[in-house]
Amino acid sequence: MSDTLDAAAFRAALLRIRDAAAAAQAELDAADGRIGDGDTGIMLRRLFEAVAAAAPADVADLGLFFRACAKRASESTGSSLGTLVTVALMLLAKRLAGRTKLPVAELGGLLGEIRDQAMARGGAALGDKTVVDMLDAVARAIDGLDREAAAMAAGRAMDETLAGFRDRPNRIGRARMFAERSIGIDDPGMLAFARLTAVLTRAEGA
Amino acid sequence: MKKLMNSADAFVDEMLDGLVAACPSLRRSGRVVRTAAGPAPGRVGIVSGGGSGHLPLFTGYVGEGLLDACAIGDVFAGPSVASCVEAIRAADGGAGVLLLYGNYGGDRMNFDLAAESVEFDGVATRSVLGADDIASAAPAEAHKRRGVAGIVYAYKIAGAKAATGADLDAVSAAAAATVAATRTIGVALSPCLIPGAASPAFELGDQEIEMGMGIHGEPGIWRAPLTSADAIADEMVDRLLAEPVEESSKRVSVMVNSLGATPLEELLIVYRRVSARLADAGLTVVMPLIGHFATSMEMAGLSLSICRLDGEREALLAAPAACPFWRV
Repeated sequence: MSDTLDAAAFRAALLRIRDAAAAAQAELDAADGRIGDGDTGIMLRRLFEAVAAAAPADVADLGLFFRACAKRASESTGSSLGTLVTVALMLLAKRLAGRTKLPVAELGGLLGEIRDQAMARGGAALGDKTVVDMLDAVARAIDGLDREAAAMAAGRAMDETLAGFRDRPNRIGRARMFAERSIGIDDPGMLAFARLTAVLTRAEGA
Repeated sequence: MKKLMNSADAFVDEMLDGLVAACPSLRRSGRVVRTAAGPAPGRVGIVSGGGSGHLPLFTGYVGEGLLDACAIGDVFAGPSVASCVEAIRAADGGAGVLLLYGNYGGDRMNFDLAAESVEFDGVATRSVLGADDIASAAPAEAHKRRGVAGIVYAYKIAGAKAATGADLDAVSAAAAATVAATRTIGVALSPCLIPGAASPAFELGDQEIEMGMGIHGEPGIWRAPLTSADAIADEMVDRLLAEPVEESSKRVSVMVNSLGATPLEELLIVYRRVSARLADAGLTVVMPLIGHFATSMEMAGLSLSICRLDGEREALLAAPAACPFWRV
């Protein structure tokens, strides 16, 4: 099992995330429906259908690969969670320009940068019970690890983060207005991150 | 709830197809609608954007003396960054572009990213955010308030200001002053359904209403059994008049806006009481606006907005304008 990722590996991952988004649509819509307008699942399914379709199969440069994905994402969604996906893809396009391989051990650092961008763009702080908390937990958990260890650590971190935040209130965005109602349930953005990337951690960690 | 549609995924694009087919004054490119005439050279452009499901807001206000272009998102979801960029470029007549949209996190992120993107091409932008919904945050946290129907006043006054040839800073200042002078509160009588969603965005009992509910079903101030139109109007007027507003003018415009399913008859019954209450409070109503200005699909209920008018705002509000759903 390789400890470096190339464009083909990222494309395969995006195709699996697309399928995971379709499978999780109803669950994510229901989770969002408790504290929002119930469209997180639909939005992510549409977004990853579009991004997976745009992921180039004939590009080795990871910067160009993610630039194509980011461009399609920026055309495909306007939801705040969706725009954070666009922001993440744009950051990967910039950071990986000119490279054809990425050691898995560097993924944690990149996720940390994505977390920082998400905080700067979206205004969320750590502890607000958003996808930022999930990014933070996974970034720290997998930093410097090889592929198999990273997959296992990510899976564990996601389970623990969901459990740790479940009984806390949302503190930002539309969900903040449902603060009381948000206690005892998963944040839709955190849950979406877990559901969409679980297909990667399970397969690699098995 | 039933919907006339072909598929949930095609809902917005087919709606936009219909809009431009019905309105020769509009042109469409993807999720951007602009005026057929294009931006006037040397004049400040005005762009808005937001989710679908609120017509005439946002797209319906593209027209002469109002918006130059609008970026449209899925139902109740903001427009994409790419659409925001395209809308800004479509509105740029060389004198800069005002980005005038509601205070929602996703819209802010997308328009901010878009503004940074067009900056590279030398397009100057300013952002003014509609934040008129008094039920969405306390006065001390007014910067967190959402933009709802009251943003239409900002569209109208900024559009008229731009038509005078004013520069970007002056048009932005007129828009910001209008936002600061406008307050809105809504009341919901029944929920709405996002196309493709399994259940309504929120639930409301048959005889229940929610005071202060947002246009996406955000929770309001209280939920209780339906009472009389006068009692509801009184509470809405009381809450709006209790709001601190810098403008001391006694002249106001009032908007009684249907959230979708509530008919004109009921809006007029409410306006009857609102106008009497405002007169009792010593306020003179100018240009009352009664009808569908900002909706939430089939949601029943209404919103009440009060815009305080100084001399300039009153003149700009009365200046000629035309869009598919409103003519002044």
